[in-house]
Amino acid sequence: MTGFIVRRALSMLVTFIVVSIVIFLMMHAIPGGPFDGYEMPLPDNIKQRLMATLGLDKPLWEQYLRYMWGVLHFDFGVPYQSPGETVMGLVAHAWLPSLTLGGLGILVGAPIGILLGMAAALRRNSWIDYLASAVATLGLTIPVFIISTGLILVFAVWLHWTPASGWGEPKRWILPILAYGAVPLATYARYARSTMLDALNKPFVTVLRAKGLSEGRIVFQHVLRNAAIPMVTIFPVMFVGIATGSIFVEAMFRVPGLGAYFVSSIDKRDYPLEMALMLLISALYSVSYLIADICYALLNPRIRVDGGSR
Amino acid sequence: MSEAALELRQVTKRFGDVVAVDRVDLAVPRNRVVALVGESGSGKTTTGLMALRLVTPSAGQILLEGEDITALGQKQLKPHRRRMQVVFQDSYASLDPMMTLGEIIAEPLGIHQVGTPAERREQAQGWLEKVGLDGSYANRYPHELSGGQRQRVAVARALILGASVLVADEPTSALDVSVKAQIVNLLQSLQEQMGLSILFISHDLSVVRSLADEVVVMLRGRVVERAPTDRIFAAARHPYTQSLLDAVPVVDPSRRRRRTFLSAEEIAARTPRVRPHELEAPPPVDTAEPQLVALAGSHFVEAIVTERAA
Repeated sequence: MTGFIVRRALSMLVTFIVVSIVIFLMMHAIPGGPFDGYEMPLPDNIKQRLMATLGLDKPLWEQYLRYMWGVLHFDFGVPYQSPGETVMGLVAHAWLPSLTLGGLGILVGAPIGILLGMAAALRRNSWIDYLASAVATLGLTIPVFIISTGLILVFAVWLHWTPASGWGEPKRWILPILAYGAVPLATYARYARSTMLDALNKPFVTVLRAKGLSEGRIVFQHVLRNAAIPMVTIFPVMFVGIATGSIFVEAMFRVPGLGAYFVSSIDKRDYPLEMALMLLISALYSVSYLIADICYALLNPRIRVDGGSR
Repeated sequence: MSEAALELRQVTKRFGDVVAVDRVDLAVPRNRVVALVGESGSGKTTTGLMALRLVTPSAGQILLEGEDITALGQKQLKPHRRRMQVVFQDSYASLDPMMTLGEIIAEPLGIHQVGTPAERREQAQGWLEKVGLDGSYANRYPHELSGGQRQRVAVARALILGASVLVADEPTSALDVSVKAQIVNLLQSLQEQMGLSILFISHDLSVVRSLADEVVVMLRGRVVERAPTDRIFAAARHPYTQSLLDAVPVVDPSRRRRRTFLSAEEIAARTPRVRPHELEAPPPVDTAEPQLVALAGSHFVEAIVTERAA
């Protein structure tokens, strides 16, 4: 297992470097620069001075190496759109709401989805099966900003149960958590249903019935164990996708999260912030896939990497 | 001779409007092998599952060693389940991929609370060797074995509780010819050693010929012919049985038979006619429709009783 992790870590490092080069080049390939705003054009000489201060007049490879050298020392530069702080500081304070709300969203949505999907698989063609299918389809097809609007309309405007916007006091977190929870709930409802059905229809389940094992034990001792593998392995990747913030959810609920910066950093040619966000995302995804693979290897004897089996 | 090990009386299964199994009579005498043959969709698997009480019959009776088990609930069935067991075609899907072979073979003992865990392990080890596998396989997983080896594990698991009735649903259909012969030999020797009664479901007549004492041919849910194995191969009367026999591959090309594929209409048109004097017993019903009638030598065939020759 250790060898496997080391190999994977090395390949992650290579991926990370390649991704950083590609993103850096693409970022600079977009026409225009940070000081080409239309509203208040800067005089050329001032612009040149600013570019020189920021090192933007240097050749690209030199800029890249300078930036990556900084990254090695955890220095991601200063965001052009907020020169009073560092990129690290900005990401840290903006990520907290996204991580909290998105993380809680998936922690609320996933278990409900799993229970719903399990119930649907065990009671096929019952009302709960139809409910699960409806929830799964709607949750994945209705855009999250429509869901958010619906949540605000029902719970804040009509019922007055919750405030309409979120962050700050925990009461305000409820609606964004529900909005973030929709996708994991729907995904897990579908996943749990299909993986459970898959396992339930295996002949080994029939054999266990023929042995006289009770239905409850069949489900908990055999079916769940087999059905859990894909459910566990999609979790880390889904977590990264949701806990890094959604621009839509955060805009709908006025959450000061990370989501908006993904767009604004590109829009404003905020190179240091854009680069940092992209590196953060690619690092998180790399790690989450590694965790998913490790979980898979631990749970599934078929691909257990060592320990006597091949 | 005492009562049959397994007997089905007028067993019927309807799925909605579809009659999957239509008034099937079947008896597996003690210490005998009865083969149930027919194409896919003929209802032979459903019949096997009903015999095991894994599918509830719509009508008819199931008797295990003379005891009517048709109406028993799953709880009441549990003690009876020790006496009847099953082996399926798909050896891989029949074994829980998350468990070691030792755990898989020992599990029936656990379900019926036989012995201590250590004793169960020991018994499982013994059964591994009985079915021709090395005892060291106990710690391996199903995916590490070949199809034939997995089928041996399935046989060991089926018989560890000392079952007297085995339903084998196409246990050799997924195997290579040489491996197939090994599994047939294994079943044969265990059958002799343990005095097993086997309902052998198959479409492979070459295997049936070497293993079965009696052959029951099913077509679209009905038994169309039933006779001792020698008689089926020497003097099959029903056109469908004859077409099944024609489909058995012959190695010598010069002796290769012409294959006949019969449509439902052709089979209906060729329904055998028997004259009353050929019958061993008077026909159950006085009708011009095809019905199962008894000929000499325990040979039953679906035929029209008529004075005129066909």
